[in-house]
Amino acid sequence: MPVKWVLHWQPNQGSTVSSQILNEATQCVESINGVKEGRWKATLNYYKPLLRDQTNQAEFPRDFLGISLADQPNKYYFIIRSQRIVLEADSSIQLIMERLQSYKSKVALYFEGFQYQLGDFRLRVGKVVPTHSENVRGIVMEVEYLPISSMEKSRKVMEEFLEIWHEALSKRSLPGKFVNIDLNFGEFGLGDNYTPQHTAVRYALVMAHMIATVQAVRG
Amino acid sequence: MQTLHQSQLLQNTAEPANNQSESDAPPKQVAQAMERLNQAARVIADIRLGADRILEAMFVASQPRHTDMPLQLFLREDASMRQHLQDLRLIGKKLEESGVLTESLRSRSNSWGLHMPLVCPDGAVVAYAWKRQLAGQAGASAVDRTRLALKAFTDQKRRFFPHIDDGLKMEPRSKKLCASHLLSENGREDPVDYKTLPDIQSRLEKLVPDVKVSTYGRLNWLKRANYLPGSTSDDPTEASKPIFQSSSKLRSGIQNEIVDKIAVIELSFPSVFRAVVSLNPAGSVDPDAVAFFSPDEGGSYLHARGFSVYHVYKHITEHAATALQYFLGFGTGTALYSLLLWICSFESLFSKPCSKCGRLLAMDNKSALILPPLHRTYQELPLAVKTGEVNLDICEAYHSSCSPDDS
Repeated sequence: MPVKWVLHWQPNQGSTVSSQILNEATQCVESINGVKEGRWKATLNYYKPLLRDQTNQAEFPRDFLGISLADQPNKYYFIIRSQRIVLEADSSIQLIMERLQSYKSKVALYFEGFQYQLGDFRLRVGKVVPTHSENVRGIVMEVEYLPISSMEKSRKVMEEFLEIWHEALSKRSLPGKFVNIDLNFGEFGLGDNYTPQHTAVRYALVMAHMIATVQAVRG
Repeated sequence: MQTLHQSQLLQNTAEPANNQSESDAPPKQVAQAMERLNQAARVIADIRLGADRILEAMFVASQPRHTDMPLQLFLREDASMRQHLQDLRLIGKKLEESGVLTESLRSRSNSWGLHMPLVCPDGAVVAYAWKRQLAGQAGASAVDRTRLALKAFTDQKRRFFPHIDDGLKMEPRSKKLCASHLLSENGREDPVDYKTLPDIQSRLEKLVPDVKVSTYGRLNWLKRANYLPGSTSDDPTEASKPIFQSSSKLRSGIQNEIVDKIAVIELSFPSVFRAVVSLNPAGSVDPDAVAFFSPDEGGSYLHARGFSVYHVYKHITEHAATALQYFLGFGTGTALYSLLLWICSFESLFSKPCSKCGRLLAMDNKSALILPPLHRTYQELPLAVKTGEVNLDICEAYHSSCSPDDS
């Protein structure tokens, strides 16, 4: 599977994220000869256990995430980041969970936007919105390099692409920047060959950062 | 040779295979340019004749005569000569505008360069396969081009009409013997190593430790290509098992026969690329085509005349056609070894920055895409191979727009 990096928008101190930034980013992609291919969408759920005895709540991990990815319509991925667990399941697992009444989704988010092709690169820019609102909580960008699937071999290519991207974006003087977070995939049992599980883990990390940013602004 | 070249090019402009996106398809541009060049040639011939007539008129005028016929003749020729020169200037201007006489065409369109479209699926016979070799050697001298064209023709003839024995088979062998004689005097490497495939393979594997070299008969390669995991496949390890078993069975059974029919060499750098080289005739050490692919690609289009679905490998394949022609033109029997070495220089495809601009990625002007350096210099390789001092660092990396070559 081609290597993918997932970036998220980090607003400057004191500024907020909005769909205007998404428009600017989209225009920037088109300015470096990106060809629009269509829409993309992913969904993410935060789960909490349904317990009879609420006092046990603290024993259960609080960062149990489920995510469906645009690339893998028949799969569903679970991540417990604090325990470095990632799991691929069939998408029917969501139905099973509903029937079992074991875990309930307490927060559901959509990632949605447009997909672009730039030669051997594929870009997806999208906003993060709660399922029942239009309130933009964040902006994410996926950068995929299609020809190879080794993370190590593609590292320099991705880094230089991001430099080109940052340079193109800086001309628009936006109040923030796109950030990529490095993480140790080995801790999750993932290797050099890129897989959808890598993407799932990246999204979990992005969510953690976005929440931390929001909390920092509030606090 | 010139007329033959021109008429063949004119024929080939009728070829439909063309996926360029310019407003005037390259075949039409080529046709127009060829027509204008023909016109220019005719006008030049007229000018020559006119010059002769003027000289004649002047000669006659120098003889004592009492008519003013020479003067009339002279005036007439003068007028027609001026007209011819004016016509030539016009044609020249048109040619300049379409970029034929200037360098700008090379960078603007693909009609003259190496990217002449060619539909040449492996196995299916397309008699114009030689055209690619000719186009690839656009930078070579006329002598080299003639030699290459002749070689290409005889290769095709040998391949498709093997029953016509013309004694040409003797020539390459004697050439190789001469070359090896030379090498044993000057070279450091044992010349015997270039003649057989296993020797070339072992030498290459010693020099480049990360490369994986495999050889196949034509049919076996087709099977392997189909089994290779494509980008849609789920389980790569399972798929690649069966074919190895069957080919090893075949090998153990009829050893000698199989060695003779090796027609495909696969060079693979895991996670970087896979290159396919075809040998013609099968069992020889003469390469006739090369193509690059992603390590994750699979399917029947994976062969030495196929093209990858990814831009980076597609562009390298086009560049490789030029390099191959250069190596073949060197004519010392080292073409295959030089080619394989040059292919190995692409191990650094995703890490070695361009020697000119210092970056890894750059926007390619021709295709408007962001690409890594797709060019590796090849001019010094055959010489290095001959003297035995091979170091792949002599292959400098360049982006296509940064490359010092015109290609």
